[in-house]
Amino acid sequence: MASSSLSSSRSLSTFPFLTQEEFEYACHMFLNRINMLDNLGGEGGWSSIRLVQQTTGLFLKISRSIRTTSAHHHDSIPFGSVDIDEGQMEIYEDDPEALIRPSDSSNCLQIEHDIVLSPTYQVPVLYFTLRRGSHPRPLGIDEVYQYLVPDQYTKELQDVGVMGGITFGYHPQSGTPAFFVHPCNTADAMRQIASQKRVTPEEYLVIWLGMVGNRLSLNLPHELFATERVQKPEGLG
Amino acid sequence: METQATLHSIQKAVWDGRLPLQIRLTPSESRRYDKTDPYLISYPRISYLPSLLPRLRAFFASSLIDPDSQAHDGWFSFEGVPLKWHLPVGLLYDLYAGADPASKGASETDDTGWDIDNLDSPLPWRLVVHFSDWPDQELVRLDSNGMVMNDAFINSVKEADFLRNGTAKGIMSLSKEDSSGLWESVQELDLPSFQRISNILLPPLHQPFRNIPIRIFLPLPPDSGSPSLKVVQSPIPPSIPLSSVAASQSTLSRSSITPQTQTIGTALHSLLPNLFPSRRTPVLAKPVLHGAAVPMSAPVEEVVRSSAYGDGWLYVVIRMMG
Repeated sequence: MASSSLSSSRSLSTFPFLTQEEFEYACHMFLNRINMLDNLGGEGGWSSIRLVQQTTGLFLKISRSIRTTSAHHHDSIPFGSVDIDEGQMEIYEDDPEALIRPSDSSNCLQIEHDIVLSPTYQVPVLYFTLRRGSHPRPLGIDEVYQYLVPDQYTKELQDVGVMGGITFGYHPQSGTPAFFVHPCNTADAMRQIASQKRVTPEEYLVIWLGMVGNRLSLNLPHELFATERVQKPEGLG
Repeated sequence: METQATLHSIQKAVWDGRLPLQIRLTPSESRRYDKTDPYLISYPRISYLPSLLPRLRAFFASSLIDPDSQAHDGWFSFEGVPLKWHLPVGLLYDLYAGADPASKGASETDDTGWDIDNLDSPLPWRLVVHFSDWPDQELVRLDSNGMVMNDAFINSVKEADFLRNGTAKGIMSLSKEDSSGLWESVQELDLPSFQRISNILLPPLHQPFRNIPIRIFLPLPPDSGSPSLKVVQSPIPPSIPLSSVAASQSTLSRSSITPQTQTIGTALHSLLPNLFPSRRTPVLAKPVLHGAAVPMSAPVEEVVRSSAYGDGWLYVVIRMMG
C-alpha cells in the first residue's frame, strides 16, 4: 500500500521539480508516516507536525522547541551523518525528561518551520521563525547562526552554498516575515543527489528535508528509517 | 506580437504614471500631535515607498518627539494597515485605496477631480509615516545602507527571470554593475538605462517566454482587520498547450495547428474559474493593472513585456464588480 512505503510506485513527472499535486501528495504521505511513529522525534525536539490548508495552497508545519543552555545544537545528531550512535539514541528515547517541555521558557527557543512549494521555482522551500519562549518578537539572523546552523554549514550558507543562502522575506501564505533557505539552487542539488534512481514524491520530500534540515539542525526522527528499507541519503552533510 | 515601438510606448506611459500622495506623521510621534503639516508629492507609481524616507525624515525632523530615530526606521500605513514596502506604491494603491480603475470610455473627470480637502476623495492617497514601533509581525526591517531593499528587489527579478527562462542563469550572468544598475534605474526612473539592462535579461521578441511572471492579488474582504494579502501564482505559459484530445484528433494536420494565445482572460479563467467564469468578459470581477482595467483579450506576454513593474512582474489586482 502506498501509504506504508516510501518506495511507492509513483514517480515524478517534472523531476527535479515538484508539481503542486505531487507536493501535496508527498506531504500527506510524510505526515502519515510520522504519525505512525511512537514518539515524535524526541531527540530533535519536534513538538508537532501538521498540514495547514489555506485558500491559496497547502503547507506542512513542523514546530520544534530546543533549549539554549544545556542542549546546545552541537550536541544534537544531524540526520544523515554517518556516525549515528544507536546507544545514545536509546538513552534519549528512554529518558522521559527529553520529551517534557522545559518550564523555564527563557531558555527555550520555539522554532516554526513551514514547508511550502515555491510557485516560481517549483521546489519545496523551508520558511522558519525563531522565538525565545513566548516572546512575540522573532529573533534575528545572528541567533539563527548561533542556535540553529551547525558550524560546518555556517560558511557555506553565508557564502550562498549548494542550498542557497538564508534570506529574510515574506512567507508566501501568511504574508508575515520569515527566514527561508533560498530555493534557487534546490533543483540542481536534487538533480545531483537523486538523478540515478527514480524517486517518489515522498522520497523527494524526505531527501530534500534531510538536506535542508541538516543545515538548520532540523533532524528527521531517525525512527523514520528504522523499519523501512529507505536509503538514508548518505554524504549529504 | 506587437512591435517593439508599440511596447515601448506603453512602457513609457506606465513609467510616467504618478500618484499624488499626502503623507502625515503619525500623531503619537509628533510634538504637534495631529497639527503637523503633511508632506505632499506626486510620486511614480512604479516606485517604492522607502525611497521617500530620507526626505520624510528631514521634513518631519522638527516635529519628531524622538530625535534619534533614523530614516530606515520609517514605515507606512494606510487606515491602520502597515504597507508592505517591497510592493510598488501603485500596486499598493490599487489594492487598498478602493478607487475605481480607469477604463476606456469612462469620463476623464475622475482623474482630475481629486480634492485635497475632501477626505472621501481617494486622491491624494493619504498615508501615515511612522519612525518607531516597527511592526515586526508584518514587515521585514530595513537597514541604513539600503541592502535589504536591494536584495528584495533582486530576488524578485531573479524569480521573474526563472519563470521566463526556466533557469536563473540570466540574472546570474549580469555584470555586477548591471545588476546594481537595474535597481538604480528603477529608483531613479531612468527608463533608457532600465531598457538597456532588461534587454539583456528578456528573451528577444520572436522567442516566447517559458512562463509569464504574473501574480494575482485577490480582493481583501471588507473590514478585515488582517492585512495579509491573498496572492495566487501558478505557472502560466504564453500559449495555451493543446489538450491531448485536440492533439490526437489533429495528428494529420498537427503542423497547421497553432497554439492559442494566452490572454489575461484565459489566464484568469484557468487560475480563478469561480471569479472569472468567462474568458472574454469580466462578469463578477475585473483585473486592474497600473490603475486601469486590463482588457481580457490582451495577450499576457505582450502585457508583461510592456507593462511589468521594474522587477519584471505583472501584479494584477482583482476588483469585484457591482
